[in-house]
Amino acid sequence: MSWAGFKKSVNRAGTTLLQKTGQIERTVDRDFAEEEAKYKTYEKECQQLQKDAKGYLDAMRAMTSAQGRLADTIGVFYDAADKTSEGAMAAHAYKRAVDDLDSGLGREMDAPYRTTVMEPLGKMCAYFPVVNEHISKRNKKLLDYDSARSKMNKLIAKPSEDPTKLPRAQQEFDDTKEVFDMLNEQLIAELPQLLDLRVPFFDPSFEAMIRMQCKFAEEGYEKLSGVQRYFADNVRDDYAAGQLDAQVEGVLQEMRELTICGAS
Amino acid sequence: MSKKSIDPEFEDYARRFTSIEDATEKLIKDTKAYTESVSKLFTHGAQYAQHFATVFHPMQSEYNLEGKHPEAEHTIQNVDAYEAALQELKSALAPELELIESRILGPAKELQGVMKMIRKTITKREHKLTDYDRYNNSLTKLRDKKEKTLNDEKNLFKLEQDFEQASNDYEYINTTMKNELPRFMVQATQFVDPLFHSFFYMQLNIFYLMLEKLHGFADGKYDVSVSGNDIAADYENKRTDAWEKIEALGLTQRIVSTSKMVQSRRAVSGGGPTSLSRSATSSTTGSASSATAPAFKKAPPPPPGANSTYSAPPPPYSPSASAASSAAAAKRAPPPPPPLKPKPKAAAYVVAVYDFVPQADGDLGFAAGDRIELVERTDSAEDWWTGRIGDRQGVFPGNYVQEA
Repeated sequence: MSWAGFKKSVNRAGTTLLQKTGQIERTVDRDFAEEEAKYKTYEKECQQLQKDAKGYLDAMRAMTSAQGRLADTIGVFYDAADKTSEGAMAAHAYKRAVDDLDSGLGREMDAPYRTTVMEPLGKMCAYFPVVNEHISKRNKKLLDYDSARSKMNKLIAKPSEDPTKLPRAQQEFDDTKEVFDMLNEQLIAELPQLLDLRVPFFDPSFEAMIRMQCKFAEEGYEKLSGVQRYFADNVRDDYAAGQLDAQVEGVLQEMRELTICGAS
Repeated sequence: MSKKSIDPEFEDYARRFTSIEDATEKLIKDTKAYTESVSKLFTHGAQYAQHFATVFHPMQSEYNLEGKHPEAEHTIQNVDAYEAALQELKSALAPELELIESRILGPAKELQGVMKMIRKTITKREHKLTDYDRYNNSLTKLRDKKEKTLNDEKNLFKLEQDFEQASNDYEYINTTMKNELPRFMVQATQFVDPLFHSFFYMQLNIFYLMLEKLHGFADGKYDVSVSGNDIAADYENKRTDAWEKIEALGLTQRIVSTSKMVQSRRAVSGGGPTSLSRSATSSTTGSASSATAPAFKKAPPPPPGANSTYSAPPPPYSPSASAASSAAAAKRAPPPPPPLKPKPKAAAYVVAVYDFVPQADGDLGFAAGDRIELVERTDSAEDWWTGRIGDRQGVFPGNYVQEA
């Protein structure tokens, strides 16, 4: 920090202290406070939105790639005994389906998702630090302004022996007021605009998101349901009736009855 | 040099056993990864919808967003339904995940337990083999010794006995292994077969849940039958100049120096406070962007039960609450096909999803939400079923109702 900057921050710290103890009056600007509050809410929502949009994309990828690995693993089980069984064929079909889904997702969804959802959010979220800088600048200039006013008022109330002091204080007051007003008015005028523009800005993302979510579900369902052709006819009903669980339990029981499992 | 015995047949089985061992571990790991990512998908989806809805609602003192942005009216009106739909979707997922936990992850862990026992036996065989080799080597050495002392003779006898014992032990365990490991391999396949099928249907069902819910929401509101590239293209078309306007705001420019800002302001306005905003953006927002806003394609509302494109939903995991407990009970009991989980004979009631106006004699009319006692049904929902409400009996289309 430069020397000038350091001096400024020390002075401002002093002003804050004096304001806290009530010796310097603090300017309250309701218009600004209201706009700032709205903006802060908006900022938070956007950041959440960005996080969730990213999480959603990542989860889609993680989901399909986990399915791909599961398919591999299931293949290993079949390989251990019988590579030509119906089950092994189905496992192959399943593997192809999930691989298809996974690569299709990367090919067809990644780019649109980025363009229509991630990028707008990213752009919007990139503005926030800049806007915040404007706000903190305004707050600092407000402190300068409050402090200059208080100095001037004191001189008016109790004139100094040095006749140049009051005009100088007045000049400083005018300067700080001009800077503060400029920043403040800009914020009050533009924060609502920024907020308002969110509607046209994000509007097209909504439809795109819904379409992509539908697409993912549709692709997933269609690709997977094709695998059923490789299942025996009764599998579906057996699943519905909970028979498959019984089979799993049954095999586990048989395994336990093996001598080599007795740990004798 | 001591000799080490190798049984190639056993080694082969052992190698395959190890690969199944690894596979089981991977299965457990990836099943967990799968459930986690699915749960994340649904959670983030619901949260995204929630925050999006908030952004498209008036904030505090704002009012009438639709009025100000007529082109976004469609979105503004739909965000709440979207939020609700994704919220429901998220809650619908919980039982599915539970199913995976208890029906896939549970058995896979049990298999792991079984394999740990077998692994112990394999280790034991290794020990027996080591014993066998040791006695064998000592015995050979002693026999080959040219001049045996008395002690050696004594030892020889003892060693022979020990060797025989070790040899028997090893042979026994090795044979058992060679008999049973192949059986275990077959069982492992028999194990994974139903497990795979169950898991498959669970995964399918998760996609189906999404599909049904999202299509249900989008139906008639959004045309969702477009390719990924078209989605991006449509998005580009619908993009307004909102971004350019945001870029043009003074707020979104980095502050270089306030004194420069003051100077430029003075230069422009002579110090007047009026020229603050660089452009009168707000007034132009509405009109400018409405020009580019295309009408949303409205698909005609589908006939009731028109989800029939996906008319083959994965089978519901019918045994409801009671099944879970009875299945848990069955876990300990020997496995013969349990009487648990009867096919939903008991679900003799269905609930009307749509109004049905009788079109011919013998039709059973009803209003959406009516409970209908099933008299006769077919396997296909595309068929006419017979039902009774009170004392009226008649036929009705099966796709107008859902299971109670």
